[in-house]
Amino acid sequence: MTEIINQIFALDLKLKKDNYDGSNRYLDRIYHEFEIMGYKIVNPIGQKYRNEMTDVEANILGDLTKSSIITKVLKPTIYHTENHQTKLLQKGIVIVE
Amino acid sequence: MKTIDLAIDLGTTNSLIAKYDNGNVKIYNNPLGLKQTLPSCIAFRGNRTVIGDKALDYLEKDAENICMLFKRKMGTQDTFHIPAIDKERSPIELSSYILKELKNFVNDQEVMNAVVITIPASFDTIQSNATKKAGYMAGFKEVVLLQEPIAACLAFANTSNIDISEKQNWIVYDFGGGTFDVALVEVNDRELKVKDNLGDNYLGGADFDNLIVEKLIVPFIEEKLGLRNLWKDLKSKSSSFKGLYFELLKIAEEAKKELSHYEETEIELDIDINGANFYEQLPVKREHFESLIQPKVEETINFIQDVIKNNQLLNSQITRVVLIGGSTYVPLIRQRISEAIGVEVNSSIDPTSAVVLGAAYYAGSKPMTVSEEVKTETSDDADKTIGCKFFYEQNTRDTEELITAKVNSEVAHSFRIMRMDGGYDSGVKQITDHSFSEFVPLLEGRLNQFKIQILNSDLDVLKSIDSVAINQGSYNVQGQPLPNDICMEVDDLDASTTRLEKVFSKGSILPLKKKIYKTASKTILKQSNSNLIINIIEGKSKGLPSSGLSIGYIEISGKDLEEDLIKGTDIEIEIEISESRDLKINIFLQSCDQEFENVFSESERSISINKINMEINTVLGDVESLIRETNDEENFEYSHQLETIRVGLIETQIAASLINEDDISDAKFQLDDKKRKLIQDFDDLTRNKLIAQEIETYNDTKTSLEYRLNQDENERFRDKYARIIKNEREVINSGNKYLIRSKIKELDELYDAIIQSSDENFISYFLHLKFVTNFSNQRKADKLFKQGDEAIDKKDYKSLRYIVYGLSALLPDYEKERQKKFKDDSRTGLG
Repeated sequence: MTEIINQIFALDLKLKKDNYDGSNRYLDRIYHEFEIMGYKIVNPIGQKYRNEMTDVEANILGDLTKSSIITKVLKPTIYHTENHQTKLLQKGIVIVE
Repeated sequence: MKTIDLAIDLGTTNSLIAKYDNGNVKIYNNPLGLKQTLPSCIAFRGNRTVIGDKALDYLEKDAENICMLFKRKMGTQDTFHIPAIDKERSPIELSSYILKELKNFVNDQEVMNAVVITIPASFDTIQSNATKKAGYMAGFKEVVLLQEPIAACLAFANTSNIDISEKQNWIVYDFGGGTFDVALVEVNDRELKVKDNLGDNYLGGADFDNLIVEKLIVPFIEEKLGLRNLWKDLKSKSSSFKGLYFELLKIAEEAKKELSHYEETEIELDIDINGANFYEQLPVKREHFESLIQPKVEETINFIQDVIKNNQLLNSQITRVVLIGGSTYVPLIRQRISEAIGVEVNSSIDPTSAVVLGAAYYAGSKPMTVSEEVKTETSDDADKTIGCKFFYEQNTRDTEELITAKVNSEVAHSFRIMRMDGGYDSGVKQITDHSFSEFVPLLEGRLNQFKIQILNSDLDVLKSIDSVAINQGSYNVQGQPLPNDICMEVDDLDASTTRLEKVFSKGSILPLKKKIYKTASKTILKQSNSNLIINIIEGKSKGLPSSGLSIGYIEISGKDLEEDLIKGTDIEIEIEISESRDLKINIFLQSCDQEFENVFSESERSISINKINMEINTVLGDVESLIRETNDEENFEYSHQLETIRVGLIETQIAASLINEDDISDAKFQLDDKKRKLIQDFDDLTRNKLIAQEIETYNDTKTSLEYRLNQDENERFRDKYARIIKNEREVINSGNKYLIRSKIKELDELYDAIIQSSDENFISYFLHLKFVTNFSNQRKADKLFKQGDEAIDKKDYKSLRYIVYGLSALLPDYEKERQKKFKDDSRTGLG
């Protein structure tokens, strides 16, 4: 399932990059279905990066400071909830500047 | 006899921990990540110590405070000076930190007194003793060492069940991410012995990724964009391409993995270079990749040949080569070893975990010499003497919260907070003035549970607390809660009526927003008069739609449509309630590709006299039939209450008939209020009765199903039955008749499946049908009964099955009758 989510996420990024908004509705629906199945997909783009975040694998450019920000997300963070227990399923792969 | 069981692969770049348990080996996952491996790397940040993956973050910025590859310094007097804490740390101390961190992975064993730790074949006595010392420092009372190639051979031997009767020579080929080792192991029926080993500490799979970037991707980009010196620029610290280098390395790693499985792959480049987007595909064949890495692979082959030669052996005297290390997935490696040495190359064991796996098998056979009790007493004592008090918000809408603690202990030196889902780790931080505070990030819309450790100055865990939990998104002191459920009216086709579906629960905090996906339950042709109704209702979600207050009512008529709305297609409804209680609805009809945005707001609330009339009529029918029923049962008090409601409804209906549809006074609203009040009363009076009826039906269905399940031939259906009734109590107690009804439906379906599974089951059905008197065509039915009797005589149950089907088709269709009454204009169109 993580691979399917990764591909959808990549497709989403690609379409957004090409300024193609017509697909947002369908992608939202797909994310909604994932959510129902217990998958929480987090896109940490634009967030401040803290070293304590163990849910992302960061490639850090330059110096890591308090104002370092996640500038690119290559793979999203995925959590899965089952029997009220949430577990990290995939670490996000990000670039921090 | 108690055995050691626990094993650790204390690697140069990565470490693992595993346990032998009754014939099986369990390799533990890092609770703060998904991997079994822990990078052997430690970062010192002033008062904070970070171990593992996250320590690598500081590699660029703060290399002097990062300790890694310390395994290479084991047994030397070299120490690592750490400017951040202005202290020296020995390789032994650093290794003990890694071992302690690995102990954190183990969640099913409290006492860890003895362990097997693996060491390279090249370790001398001093290096070996240094490793032992690190083990003791990490709190183990007994440390047994095992050479890595031996562990790998054990892993292979134990998982492949081979029989060794005479002396054999095996080669262990260990090609990791950053290092390469080869060992010659002598194996006989009693023991395994490392005879010789060679290696290169600077040769690994990461070199392959770099080659793909340097020799394939970079020339391709240079050619397409007319750039020069890109490879140099990528790696330069001062260039703007540095982010790109990491990105390309990831892409190269993916391509390498693909090429281990397929003959060809496409590298998709979608990157930004000099501010412009570059999107191209680069096809790569496996042979091309192999020609790139060939020289590196040959280097490793030379090592194997050297080790064989140095021991005066011939290739033919090598029985097998065992492959370990992540880089050995590459097919060329297997192929080249096989060609060069001419022996069986075995890659059946997982190359990453082979060493710890073999070590665990060894630990499972090695008796423990220390008593189990030693550590428990001390840790229990410490646990009791440390008092901790925590302060934090249990419910919040913020995505970050502060956890503050007071610690009443002199030995408590540091703390560590980890989110149990694995998404956050504070690292080890110092406690100052007996207290600490930490901002922790929260996962939205979830209960975030934390594990908090209190540690001493040697980083031993003194106390572990896992009762701290923060609920994100549930409550906010400044927010305004909803006084009632907000629901949407939808069609209930099974019951041929409409019902309420909850959108937001009572008590939810405003603002709220939700997308609901429904399907059209009827077709609405464009230009027709048919309507799609979106009715948002404030009231009890378990009540009748007409008992609630309609706060948003939209009709989308066929005349509004540009295309036909086809039954079964998706309808997307977004409902949003602002803090000031404005209701916004956005509807998207998929088959028409049409959007109705902000179609109305609360101030435009409209009440239709027609709708009031229609709703009263529906309820009136139900009230009257219930009055007849209760009179029969001589339940006069109940029937009197019902009669009051009936009279009220009729009065409202008469009053409504006297008002024009375009009346502008508030008479319509008064009537609507009155109607709602009456229907609510009816709802309250009958709800329990209806639910009791549903529960009775449920129990009856269950009894007849259990009768069937008790028959031996139906044993295979029992699992499914158990699954269906698993959450039975929850459903029954929900007081929601729709939920109970859907459970009944599931039981019915299982019952049908059981019946259908054998032709003989149709006998009792057939006999039951004989009591039916109102077939739609009695003559036809009589004929079928005759045929059925004959079939039973002949024991031809297959034919009987079809006769029963035929008879069932002649039964009066009550369902159809009811559906006929559920006319098009009383339906919402939302399934």
